[in-house]
Amino acid sequence: MSTIISLSVLGVLILAEGLLGKKAWHLPTILIGLLVSLALTLSGWNLNLHYYNEMMIVDNSSVAFSSILIFTTFLIFMFAGHYYRGVQRPLDDIYAILIFALVGSVMMTSFGNLIMLFLGIETLSIALYVLAGSHKEAITSNEATLKYFLMGSFLSGFLLFGIALLYGASGSLNMDEISAYTVREAAHLSPMFKAGLFLLIIGLAFKIAIVPFHFWAPDVYEGTPTLLTAFMATVVKVASIVALFRLFSHCFPAIRETWETTLWILAVLTILVGNLTGLYQPNLKRMLAYSSISHSGYMMLAVLAFSARSADALLLYAAAYSVATVTAFGILILVRGAKGNDLFTSFEGLGRKNPVEAVCLTIALLSLTGIPPLAGFMAKYYLFATALEKGYLWLVILAVLGSAISVGYYFKPIISMYLKEGEGIKLEAGFAYKTHIVFLTVLTILLGLLPAFLINLL
Amino acid sequence: MQFIPISYYLIFCSVLFCIGVIGVLIKRNALLILMSVELMINSINLLLAAFSTYLNDPAGQIFVFFIMVVAAAEVAIGLAIIVVIYRTTHSIDIDVLNKLKW
Amino acid sequence: MFTKYIFFFLSTVALYSAIMVLLSRKPIHSVLYLTLTFFAIAGHYILLNAQFLAVVHVIVYAGAIMVLFLFTVMLLNLNKEEVSPKPVWIKIVAIIAGCLLMIVLIGIFRGYDIAIEKDPALTQIGLVKNLGQVLYKQYLLPFELASILFLTAMVGAVLLGKKEQI
Repeated sequence: MSTIISLSVLGVLILAEGLLGKKAWHLPTILIGLLVSLALTLSGWNLNLHYYNEMMIVDNSSVAFSSILIFTTFLIFMFAGHYYRGVQRPLDDIYAILIFALVGSVMMTSFGNLIMLFLGIETLSIALYVLAGSHKEAITSNEATLKYFLMGSFLSGFLLFGIALLYGASGSLNMDEISAYTVREAAHLSPMFKAGLFLLIIGLAFKIAIVPFHFWAPDVYEGTPTLLTAFMATVVKVASIVALFRLFSHCFPAIRETWETTLWILAVLTILVGNLTGLYQPNLKRMLAYSSISHSGYMMLAVLAFSARSADALLLYAAAYSVATVTAFGILILVRGAKGNDLFTSFEGLGRKNPVEAVCLTIALLSLTGIPPLAGFMAKYYLFATALEKGYLWLVILAVLGSAISVGYYFKPIISMYLKEGEGIKLEAGFAYKTHIVFLTVLTILLGLLPAFLINLL
Repeated sequence: MQFIPISYYLIFCSVLFCIGVIGVLIKRNALLILMSVELMINSINLLLAAFSTYLNDPAGQIFVFFIMVVAAAEVAIGLAIIVVIYRTTHSIDIDVLNKLKW
Repeated sequence: MFTKYIFFFLSTVALYSAIMVLLSRKPIHSVLYLTLTFFAIAGHYILLNAQFLAVVHVIVYAGAIMVLFLFTVMLLNLNKEEVSPKPVWIKIVAIIAGCLLMIVLIGIFRGYDIAIEKDPALTQIGLVKNLGQVLYKQYLLPFELASILFLTAMVGAVLLGKKEQI
């Protein structure tokens, strides 16, 4: 609760600073504010508070996932100063909307009622429609926002229809009561409840970008300004997966066989299609879009193999994925700034001219592939182990196969950087920017070496 | 006295919902797509209100209220996006925008 | 019996005008037919004795949203026919898909019924007083958080709508 209040106040504060014209104050305020709300979030650890008739339930898992979301946003804001350095227009509106989007995603990790889930998703979505189109002069940005908006509001309709049917069948919007209903009626579930469940899965699958509802993701990611794409690929993705996880682990564990096959098929499709299509992408940004799609497939494993340990595994996975993806986007911002595009040819010769950046990008991509001893490997290991415990042998085999395919595209930029001769360009990263990237890389390595830090928390 | 069975509302709302879905799929004009989405949202609202009345539980009607709030915000954003698109391309045909491949 | 006739009348009006939204050649006619659909649905709310929703629905949809749509149509001078409609096969596929969805949904709902003791038109929960009690007690938190959503939408609409002075 204090998280939501502090973040909302932070957003309003940024708008007020914009009104006063204090542009230089924005970033310091945001960074301090995010740290304060991170501290406030962590202070809710082990308290297990229920707010306002079960509207919000702040248990340990929601504290942990909210902290990851806030921390990732903090990491992304560290790049903002560099990304927007030559921009004359006031930035208070973009920053404030980013913070409000974060509020929406925090709501999605701690809802106790389907109304709160819906409001969280919509706050996040509306903020993202605006952010995707925030570069108004670029036609690609316009196109991204229109596609995202039309598809998003269309699929929101399915989500709502699903919630309406669940309400009609169970007579309540409260998660505990729906859960009680499924336990009571597990043997003879009404077809209306099943239909509602499937429509709900469709709606959420769109927000997460799960195959076959993923087709918007590469276009929207490519058209959106890069800094905001980093936000979409990490915070939004993790928040939506966590919402799915929370919903299924709280409400529907009693009727497992109803949804198990559907989610199984969706997870396999996501992993295979995401990785195979990733092989054919011409540039790093689209490649990262497909990488994020396939990673959401891996994270679906945690939803399928629900147990106390799968929450731990999802937490580690979300942290590892977010940190590595933010690093990759940090380098992507530099290359796009210097070259104007992010084709794989632009990375040629980077290894010699900018050794630090090249090493950091390499480590981030290796972590995303899942090479030991990096964070991505440990996360995948724990995730697959929990899935195996529940007996999903084929799913794990297909997921490992997917990771093997992903080597094909994650190594493309690495090969360009080190093995191809190119004229090479000097990336204009300031000292602070470089330090931040190195810090992120160290974090990736540390998470890989000491996963126990996150793995036995929940 | 005979009451209207709830299944009448269910069938009416699903027909209206599907008209909205078909509209989204066949139209190229962004404005008309947005209108079709509004049709879908309206059918859901009526469905929730009907459930709420028949179950004698206010939660459904409260939810309709929130959906209206969100729909209003969404339309405001959507029309702002359409105006921006029109400024750069002088068209709101979704097929004119094909810089990014699907 | 009388309420049944009203129900069928309102449903026919709503479905007819919903179909006309899609069939009209000019966007402005679509907007007007959409308004008619909204009024028919407001009638349905009154039939369900959801008075608060009926009033809010008319204010929000017929009042605010329709005015926004009309304003955009007029502002951008969009009142032209579609120049190149989608190919026929896409339309046929879309209509078949929509009809399939409809058949599935109707198949699910056909046998469904909620046993009610008293006339739904006499339930009191849809009155402003009762809904207000629930909204400001049980649902206070989502009500407050909706303001964040509105603030986001407001800032966003200004961000997108205003012209840059460079």
